Amino acid sequence: MANTDKAGKSPKQQPAQGSTSAAGVTLPNGDNVSSEGLADNVFKIAGAVGVVALLASLGLGVSAGDDLAQFSFSYLVAYAFVLALGLGCLFWVTLQHLVNAHWSVVVRRLGELFAANMPLLALLSLPILIPIVMGNHALYVWTDHAKVEASHLLHGKAGYLNVGFFLGRMVFYFVFWSALSRFWLKRSVAQDLKPEAGVTRRWQGIAAPSMILVALTLTFSAIDLLMSLDAAWFSTMFGVYFFSGAFMSANCLLALAAMWLQGRGRLVKSVSVHHLHDLGKMTFGFVVFWAYIAFSQFMLIWYANIPEETAWYKVRFEGDWKYVAIFLLVGHFIVPFLGMMSKHVKRRRGALTAWTLWLLIMQYVDLYYLVQPTRLARVLEEAPAGEAVNATLPFHLLDLTCLLALVALFIAGAAFNARKKNLVPVNDPRLEKSLAFTNL
Amino acid sequence: MAATIKAGAAEVSAATSGLNPYQGPPVGDNVFAKITQNVSRVMEVPKPPRAWYIAFGIALTLLSIFGACLGWVVWEGIGAWGNMVPVAWAFDITNFVFWVGIGHAGTLISAVLFLLRQNWRTAVNRFAEAMTIFAVACAAIFPGIHIGRPWLPYWMFPIPNQMGMWPQFRSPLEWDVFAVGTYATVSVLFWYMGMIPDFATFRDRSTSTIKRAAYGLVAMGWRGSSRQWHRYERAYLLLAALATPLVLSVHSVVSFDFATAQLPGWHTTIFPPYFVAGAIFGGFAMVLVLAVPARQFFGLKYIITIKHIELMAMVILATGMVVGYAYGMEFFIAWYSGSMYEGFTFQNRAFGPYAWAYWTMIFCNVVSPQIFWWKKMRSSPWVAFIVGVIVNVGMWFERFVIIGTSLARDFLPGSWGYFIPTPVDYLTLGGSFGLFFTLFLLFCRYLPMVAMAEVKSIMPEAHVAHGDHH
Amino acid sequence: MSTDNDKANDTGSAPLHGLLAEYDNPTALVRAAEKVRDAQYEHWDTYTPFPIHGMDPAMGIKPTVLPWIVFWAGLTGCVVGVGFQYWTSVIDYPWVISGKPFWSIAANVPIAFETTVLFSALTTLGAMLALNGLPHPSHPLDLKRRFAKVTDDRFFLLIEARDKKFDATDTRALLESTHPAVLDDVAEDRVTSDKLPTVILGALAVLTTLAILPFALAYKARVSKSDQPRIHLVPNMDNQPHIKAQQESPIFADLRGMRGDVPGTVAQGNLQEDDHLYRGKLEGGAWARTFPKEIAPSEQNMKRGEREFGIFCAPCHGLSGHGDGMIHERAAALGQGTWVQPTNLHQDYLRQQPVGELYNSITHGVRNMPGYGHQVSVEDRWNIILYMRALQRSTAAAPTDVPESERGALK
Repeated sequence: MANTDKAGKSPKQQPAQGSTSAAGVTLPNGDNVSSEGLADNVFKIAGAVGVVALLASLGLGVSAGDDLAQFSFSYLVAYAFVLALGLGCLFWVTLQHLVNAHWSVVVRRLGELFAANMPLLALLSLPILIPIVMGNHALYVWTDHAKVEASHLLHGKAGYLNVGFFLGRMVFYFVFWSALSRFWLKRSVAQDLKPEAGVTRRWQGIAAPSMILVALTLTFSAIDLLMSLDAAWFSTMFGVYFFSGAFMSANCLLALAAMWLQGRGRLVKSVSVHHLHDLGKMTFGFVVFWAYIAFSQFMLIWYANIPEETAWYKVRFEGDWKYVAIFLLVGHFIVPFLGMMSKHVKRRRGALTAWTLWLLIMQYVDLYYLVQPTRLARVLEEAPAGEAVNATLPFHLLDLTCLLALVALFIAGAAFNARKKNLVPVNDPRLEKSLAFTNL
Repeated sequence: MAATIKAGAAEVSAATSGLNPYQGPPVGDNVFAKITQNVSRVMEVPKPPRAWYIAFGIALTLLSIFGACLGWVVWEGIGAWGNMVPVAWAFDITNFVFWVGIGHAGTLISAVLFLLRQNWRTAVNRFAEAMTIFAVACAAIFPGIHIGRPWLPYWMFPIPNQMGMWPQFRSPLEWDVFAVGTYATVSVLFWYMGMIPDFATFRDRSTSTIKRAAYGLVAMGWRGSSRQWHRYERAYLLLAALATPLVLSVHSVVSFDFATAQLPGWHTTIFPPYFVAGAIFGGFAMVLVLAVPARQFFGLKYIITIKHIELMAMVILATGMVVGYAYGMEFFIAWYSGSMYEGFTFQNRAFGPYAWAYWTMIFCNVVSPQIFWWKKMRSSPWVAFIVGVIVNVGMWFERFVIIGTSLARDFLPGSWGYFIPTPVDYLTLGGSFGLFFTLFLLFCRYLPMVAMAEVKSIMPEAHVAHGDHH
Repeated sequence: MSTDNDKANDTGSAPLHGLLAEYDNPTALVRAAEKVRDAQYEHWDTYTPFPIHGMDPAMGIKPTVLPWIVFWAGLTGCVVGVGFQYWTSVIDYPWVISGKPFWSIAANVPIAFETTVLFSALTTLGAMLALNGLPHPSHPLDLKRRFAKVTDDRFFLLIEARDKKFDATDTRALLESTHPAVLDDVAEDRVTSDKLPTVILGALAVLTTLAILPFALAYKARVSKSDQPRIHLVPNMDNQPHIKAQQESPIFADLRGMRGDVPGTVAQGNLQEDDHLYRGKLEGGAWARTFPKEIAPSEQNMKRGEREFGIFCAPCHGLSGHGDGMIHERAAALGQGTWVQPTNLHQDYLRQQPVGELYNSITHGVRNMPGYGHQVSVEDRWNIILYMRALQRSTAAAPTDVPESERGALK
């Protein structure tokens, strides 16, 4: 069979695997669900690429001599992108436990592996947090004591937007996310070795309160990291907006990961076209949900036309940014909406790969559009009235290197988590139903 | 056929001997026949249970009060209500949003749960769809009468009128006309289409010519052809896929009525998803309020089981948390925005003259569903019923808090006021329940209360055995 | 071999409609359907109480075109929704509302969405019924008493006699091999009338008439005129008590319904501090001889002045300003003797009069002429004077007024 052939081609990885682990189990249907021979390689390659790119980014950033401004913004966009993937997967896994989903069991381990990157993401937040602690105000105006004192508005918000509380919240978020994601992965792997009775019911019980905390931490992390870039602006919808993109990109990631593994002879029989169809449907649903949330937020602010709110959008329609807005409307909604409507698209691997990759790019563009115009807003604020301001898109090499670094490290982290583990929770009592799952 | 006729006779004799003919396990020689018999006996037995008559009497009384109130308002004008400046929207729009919200769970259960393959929905979806239509009917009355000249509501429709004017399509109130109108139409289509196969069942089981002709007319000659089932299923899926964004859009558009304004407490971007979650929350609560007595009195316990009640309780708990999230987020952002008006509005809600309404809302919507964390409570039908009632009260107060408290105290202290409802206000609100329940009780008596064909299709016996053929 | 519990039919002479096999579970029916499919029959169908999964491939049913029809209907709905809003808000009835542009696409999205869904949903049901040939009032199977259980718990398979491959013995043998619970002939229906019952036809006619009626009435109202006052359905709400101008009101102690400004206040935009602009006076109280700085002698202002002059001044003073407007002509024709001819604007004293004084005359009136201050805006009063000056110049032009280059043409 194809899978055994491919597994046989890389025998040199075999000794690296611990003999005591549960990895290497084959499912009753003869499917290869082991990470052996893949995880280590991916970890090494992606890890090396990531570290090199990260060092290059740091080098470029420091040598730019702009007080880390370009680096901070480029890094924040890329970081928000991988954080959204990690949080999206954490939300996804918790949701599957909460609703006791059967269909998703065969892809749930992938979600657990990506979500378990939370400690890594905590580490990767340091390039944002350390400059703040060191007194760099490139990203957040409210970290600048002098400006806070000068502004009545910022002064009023100082109870929430201050460095100490901000760092405290960050620590809390990451401790909680790490604990929860590690818990899901650990329990699930433990089940591979020794099935426990009634465990799904218990997990459902844990998922319910966890979900509340996940929702709250996700919201407030989005407010802290992204919304507070423009400390004057506010939108009650912001957490939901961030969530819609995060959840969509997580579904894209899971579909891509499953298809990539299938290309490497893993999960070939376990993950059927029916599971991919469902992931595709979720992606499609959240494309629409994102459009709904994005439209509602824009329309309400445009309609009411209250200066302190519209200012945020006004900058984002300045100069070249309005083309980005149109590009988002077309590329993040209209085209994928029409393109992914048919079920045949969601069931064809090539088409699904193309669409999910495209949507991941659009998710990055969306975050870029949330973050980068902040710099233009600050320039406009300082600029004398009537003076022309450069409103072209601030593309920079750092955008690419930061994205490359963080995505590579994110993948390397997931591969590291996957070492010596099965890619499917082989002893999950719902696995049989999941394998037999057929879609409409 | 002979078996059913016999069963029918047994029921008739049970009815004459004073027992409730609806109670007792359904009869039939296989699982499909049992389902048919269980659902159809409601229509076949000559007399409904006494509880039905009592409920219908109360509902009719309320309905006549409703009619009298509406008549009085048309004659006297909306001065009959307590509405005044600044609270120019009060019970009228509160009732409208409340009923539209109730009208959401129906399509949600039918469409969204269908797309999510939640098969348990089949037990309650018909109920919920009927509830949707009756609730939307109640809702549609209020914008009609609140315009002051209720004989001119056609001005809201895009028809060429005598004045050469068009409705204002940039106004959220006009969006409402389209959203609610489309929703009512699509809900009726969805409901009717789902009932076609069940009407055919009723037609084929009817013994009287009139019933046979009536059910035959609406069944349109459905005979269960597989070629027809193929298109029917496809159409049902399409309608479900259309109804899902529609149901989101309707309450979102209702929320736009408020959120496009600049009034503190109205203008907040989270309103669309928050209103939708609230509608699902209130709608499911209303399904519980209707389903628990219906299964009790009409002997549908074999179809609407404790498992269904429990699942609905879970949905209520989950959506209750979402609503709680929105309350919290509004409060946080009101402070975070740094806007003194926003800050004041929320302070005023919690500690101002309408604090009683606010805390009633918090208790009903956020605190009371927490009882569903305990499985024992979730699986008790009457606990679920009581929580359902409390949640409905809470959801009414939520709309009142949004509308009333925000209007009563806006930017300018000089224009503040306090709304006091008149008896007509209270009676109109109470009376609208009369319309709802009258329609609902008629539905219970004459239409298939459970989607028989769908329930049958998810039975294990309905699945084709594999592997024994070549 | 019609069974005796079937409904009355002239089976003796009725031709065969087909062969009906009955099964008591879905699996048996699917197996039978596969055999019939493989035998390549065309006119056959299965009948079940609920949709059976796996029946479509078993019968070889091709996917329906319904989704495509619905897709195009939805697109039509979207285009209609957007187009209708564009036509009404931009072309047919442009109306400024809350400062939004006529074409505000963000505000048009909700309705366009709703029409998309509405068109799609109506098409879904309509096309489903049409493709399925519903309503389908009568069918030979209706005469089979056992067939009534098709909506309850039984599963049927019918092969029609009109099928090319139908053969009384072969087809029967094929169906026998599927082990049906019952196998039966179905005769053509000779008892049910092909026509719709009169009751239904009558009801349809009444409904159609009633549906047309409101539109007919609305159309009549649009094309006809009436001398009758409009109908007051609810007089109580149509004729509400409110204060008209100059009426008394018992609410106030001074009984005046119209209320003056609160002492010491000025309505917004009515401060009018600039004496030159608003009253035509200079600081010392003398009439201004120059136009205020707000009124530039531009082409645009001149045109505006000409227009306003034509509306308010020309009826008396005449289009040329000689005091021979059509009111004067009419009054002169009536010859009643009391009529005083309106002033000729080309008199010298008027040519010399300061513009401020002219402004004052227009605002407050002079001799027989009433004031126009409440009808003509401040700017337009100045524009009228601007035009009037041009008019006066036209009857007192000197050769020096002609540009030097053109002067040769005068000779």
